[in-house]
Amino acid sequence: MLRTDEILSTIHMLHAEHLDVRAVTLALNVDDCAAPSVDHLCRKLHSKITSRANRLVEICDRVGVKYGIPVINKRIALSPVSTILAGHGQAAAVQVARTLDKAAAECRVDFVGGFSALVHKGISQGDDVVMNSLPEVLSKTKQVCASLNVASRKAGINMDAVGRVGHLLLKIAEATADQRGFGCAKLVVFANIPEDNPFMAGAYMGAGEPEATVNIGVSGPGVVCSALKRRLALEPNLTLGDLAEEIKITSFRVTRVGELIGREVAAELGVAFGIVDLSLAPTPEVGDSIGEIIETLGLACVGAPGSTAAVALLNDAVKKGGLFASSSVGGLSGAFIPVSEDATLARAVGQGQLVLEKLEAMTSVCSVGLDMIAVPGDTPPETLAAIIADEMAIGVINNKTTAVRMIPVPGAKAGEVVDFGGLFGSTPVLEIRNAGASDLFVRRGGRIPAPLQSLGN
Amino acid sequence: MPRFEHVYVLNIMSDDHPGIVAAVSNAIEDLGGNIDSCSQTVLGGYFTLIMIVSLPEAVETGDLAGRIRSSESLGGEYQVVARKGLVSRRAAPADGTERFVITAFGKDQPGIVRRFSQYLAGKDINIVDLYGDRREDEFVLIGQLELSKQWDIRMLQADLEQMGQELGFTVKLQHENIFVATNQLRLTGQG
Repeated sequence: MLRTDEILSTIHMLHAEHLDVRAVTLALNVDDCAAPSVDHLCRKLHSKITSRANRLVEICDRVGVKYGIPVINKRIALSPVSTILAGHGQAAAVQVARTLDKAAAECRVDFVGGFSALVHKGISQGDDVVMNSLPEVLSKTKQVCASLNVASRKAGINMDAVGRVGHLLLKIAEATADQRGFGCAKLVVFANIPEDNPFMAGAYMGAGEPEATVNIGVSGPGVVCSALKRRLALEPNLTLGDLAEEIKITSFRVTRVGELIGREVAAELGVAFGIVDLSLAPTPEVGDSIGEIIETLGLACVGAPGSTAAVALLNDAVKKGGLFASSSVGGLSGAFIPVSEDATLARAVGQGQLVLEKLEAMTSVCSVGLDMIAVPGDTPPETLAAIIADEMAIGVINNKTTAVRMIPVPGAKAGEVVDFGGLFGSTPVLEIRNAGASDLFVRRGGRIPAPLQSLGN
Repeated sequence: MPRFEHVYVLNIMSDDHPGIVAAVSNAIEDLGGNIDSCSQTVLGGYFTLIMIVSLPEAVETGDLAGRIRSSESLGGEYQVVARKGLVSRRAAPADGTERFVITAFGKDQPGIVRRFSQYLAGKDINIVDLYGDRREDEFVLIGQLELSKQWDIRMLQADLEQMGQELGFTVKLQHENIFVATNQLRLTGQG
C-alpha cells in the first residue's frame, strides 16, 4: 500500500512543479526505403513512417492521461537519410525532406530528425548531397531537423567538414532570412553524436540500434529548481553537498516518470524500449531554466565566476540520481544550456554577464554545447567554423558529446534581440570577439588527429 | 490461511496510549489463539485497530469482545467489536482491476467525502484505502481505488474534475504506478 506522504509529495511535484515528459521519440530505421527511383523511395519512406508512427501521438496522450503526466513533444528520429540518398542528387534530397515533412504532419508529431550525415572522418557522396541540400531543405520544410557529426573521439575533427559548415550556416541563415535565420536552429553540428538521443534538433537513429525503438526525454529544470527553492526556504544554510543531494533525489523521481511512460508507450506501439535521456532541457517559460538553478545555487548571475562549477555540480547530480532510477540511461543525459530557450541565460547575455567564452567553458562540464546562440549575421564563415572547431575539441578531448546550434542572424548586430518564437525563445545576439582572426587556421582544412587515450590530464 | 479453524474479526477503538496492542494480544494468547493479520492507525488522538484472529476452539463473539475489553492494562474509554470471520474473504484484488489513486484538494466544506464516495459507489468502484485531513481551511482527500478495466479513465477523470469544479476542488485520478515509480525502489507495483 502506498503511504500518504508519498502520494502527497508526488502530487506536489506533478501539479505544483509541473513535471512532464518532455519528449517521446520514436526512432525508426529507414535504410530499407532505398530505391533507384526517387518517387519510389519517397513512397516507401512515407508508408513506413506513417504506418509505424500514426498511433504515437494517441498512445502518448492516453498513457499520459492514465498517469496524470503530460507528454509535451512527440517526435520521430530516423536513421541518417544520407544512406538512402546515396546515388541520388540534391533534387532528390529536397523531395525526401518534403516527404518527411508531410509524414510528420500526418502523424501529428512536431519534428522529424535524421536528415543527417556522419562526416567525422570524411564525406561520402550521400553525405555530400545532404550537406549541399541543407539550405533548401531547412528553408522549405517545417518539421525536418538535421544533424552533422563532424568529429569523434576515434577520428578526430574533420576540419574540411567544419569549414564547409561555416559557409553552410550563412547560406541557411540567408535562405531563412525572413525568419531571422531560423533554419540554423534546425541543424545541430556534433562531436561524438549519440545514437539514441530523443531531443531535437539532434535526434537521429544511429548504427547498432534496432529496427524501431522508443527513447524518452524527461522533464525540464523547473522541477529541480522548485525542489531546491523549497528546501532552501526551510533551511537557508544548506551546503552545496546538501543541494547536490536534493538534485539527485529529484532526478531519480523525474527519471522514473520517464521510464514508466516510455516503457508503456513502447509496449503499446509494439517496439523495443530504448533509453531514458536524463537531460534537463529548459524552455523559455519562467521557472523552467538551467540559469535559474545556477542562480539558486548561490550565484548572483549566471556567467559569474563559479558558474562552471555550479553546472558541473548540477550535471553530475542529475546523472547520479537518474542512473539509479533507470537501467537504460542514454542519449545526452546532462544539463542543456540553450541560450534562447532559457530565459535566465538569455537575460544574462543581454546584460553582458554571460559571454561566449564563459558559455563555452560551461559546456565542457555539461551537455550539450553552444546551443541556440545567435551571432551577428556578418560573422565570417571561418570564424563560425572556428567556434564549432573549439566546441568539437572539447568533446573529442574530454570523450563526451558536444554540439553547436548557432544562428548567424542576417543583418543583426551584437546586442540586438531576436525572437524565434514559441519554445525556441528569444535572445540577444552574442558578441563575437576577434571575428575574422581564425581564417588561415580554418582554411588549412584536413583533419585534427584523434587524441591520445591515456595520460589524461 | 488462518492458523486455527475459528476465525474472528476484532475492531478496537480507544483514546491512544501505550499498551493497547500488548493488552489485546495478551487476551488472544490467553485464549490459545493467533493473530493472523492486523492493521492499526491513530487519528486525532484516537487509536483504532482491526485484527483477524483465529482460535482453536469456538467462542461466542460477545465473550471474545468481553475478554478483550476486560484485559487489565486497557485503560480509559474503549470499544471492542468482534464478529465471526469468513476464511475466504482475503484481500486479493479482484481480477481485471487496477489500482488508481484519487486526490482532491480544496477549501473545506461539509459533503466532500460524501460527494466523491457516492460517485465511486455508483460505479461500483471499491475504496481500499482512504485518507482525509483538514488543515486550516483546506481539505485533502486521498483514496486508493480498485478500478475495473471496463471504465474509460478519461470519462471518470472528466466526471471527477467536473465535480471538483463545482466544489472548488482540484481532483486527479491517476494510476498508482506513478506514485510507486517516483517513491519506491521498484518501478511498478507488484501484480
